[in-house]
Amino acid sequence: MRYHPLPRTAVPVVALTTLVLLVWIGWGSVRSPASFWAPGELSRYHVDQAGCLHCHEPFRGPSPARCVSCHSDRYFADRATPAVTTWHRDLVAQRTACTACHTEHRGALAQITERTRTNPHGEFVFRATGTSSCTACHEFGARVATKPTLRDEPIVRQLYERGRGAHQPGRIAECLACHGRGAS
Amino acid sequence: MTSVRLRVLVVTVVVVAAVAGALIFEALLSLGETAPFGHTQYGHAAGWVGLVVTLLVFVYPLRKRISPARRWPRGWFRVHMVAGVVGPLFIFLHSGAHYHALVPILAMLSMVIVVVSGVVGQAVHAFSLSALNDQRRRLQHEGLSDSDIDAQLHGMASQEEAFRMWQAIHAPMTLMFLVFTLLHVAGALFFAGIS
Repeated sequence: MRYHPLPRTAVPVVALTTLVLLVWIGWGSVRSPASFWAPGELSRYHVDQAGCLHCHEPFRGPSPARCVSCHSDRYFADRATPAVTTWHRDLVAQRTACTACHTEHRGALAQITERTRTNPHGEFVFRATGTSSCTACHEFGARVATKPTLRDEPIVRQLYERGRGAHQPGRIAECLACHGRGAS
Repeated sequence: MTSVRLRVLVVTVVVVAAVAGALIFEALLSLGETAPFGHTQYGHAAGWVGLVVTLLVFVYPLRKRISPARRWPRGWFRVHMVAGVVGPLFIFLHSGAHYHALVPILAMLSMVIVVVSGVVGQAVHAFSLSALNDQRRRLQHEGLSDSDIDAQLHGMASQEEAFRMWQAIHAPMTLMFLVFTLLHVAGALFFAGIS
């Protein structure tokens, strides 16, 4: 079989189309950058952010420094429990990336905390132990979703001794059975 | 000879099955995870592997154009065909069925056009050559002269010639694919960070 060469117009047509699309991308990136670059819609918590660079640092990604520009100590103090405030303050001090636990671009209704860890002891545990943060007793891995371990701290040893077995791992979640109604 | 339409259908079904396989595999890897596989470290690695493998396809056309007087680089053509299928399958694994931003969508669309035109064209070409040779042997066996055989095969060869259109799409669309792929990679590094 003898083949005909490529039509002469094929490459110029594709080159021109590519150029037109590039101009469109450039124009659209200024007007609506999320449509052209974002991997998904922002959550309802961040949907009113001014632009991509509000959270993303060029070539460094979503930066904790930009997160804390909004999520400051004051922000947590006004909106969160003392435990949550201390928890985040500790992580910021340790320079832990916020993206280790929080995600974005999963849609308006998405949960942005990876496997949200709830406090199984309730706020009561802080009153009973005199602590203000989960990290006073627990060691967490790089990601909050991993199972925490107990720290070798005086408060943990004291709980073990005073509870005569009740304060063993796995049982402390039942603490309200004995310490209910604000009893210490 | 099987009809051209049937051959196109067979090749299309194989291509669709391969792509669907990659997408289903990505969906399985994403099951029970908070993030789609493509957004994980391994998903990004699949994208990089796909890119590197896909870039291997350019050795063949480059060698062909840089030294056209030399023998046709058959070995690199095989690399071209294998890398042109395996690389995009890694890209499908990387992307999954999660399409939002227009730049990666354009990169994906141009890749699909390049790959499909290449796979369908090459497969139809290979099938038709083998069908032509079979037919030639059959006619020779029946005792027809070479000129009679050529005359009988002319219609069949013309029919296959129509499939040359695939090359008019395949080669030029590579330009668009390269531009949008590089743009997508640059955008991902810009917004998600280099490390």
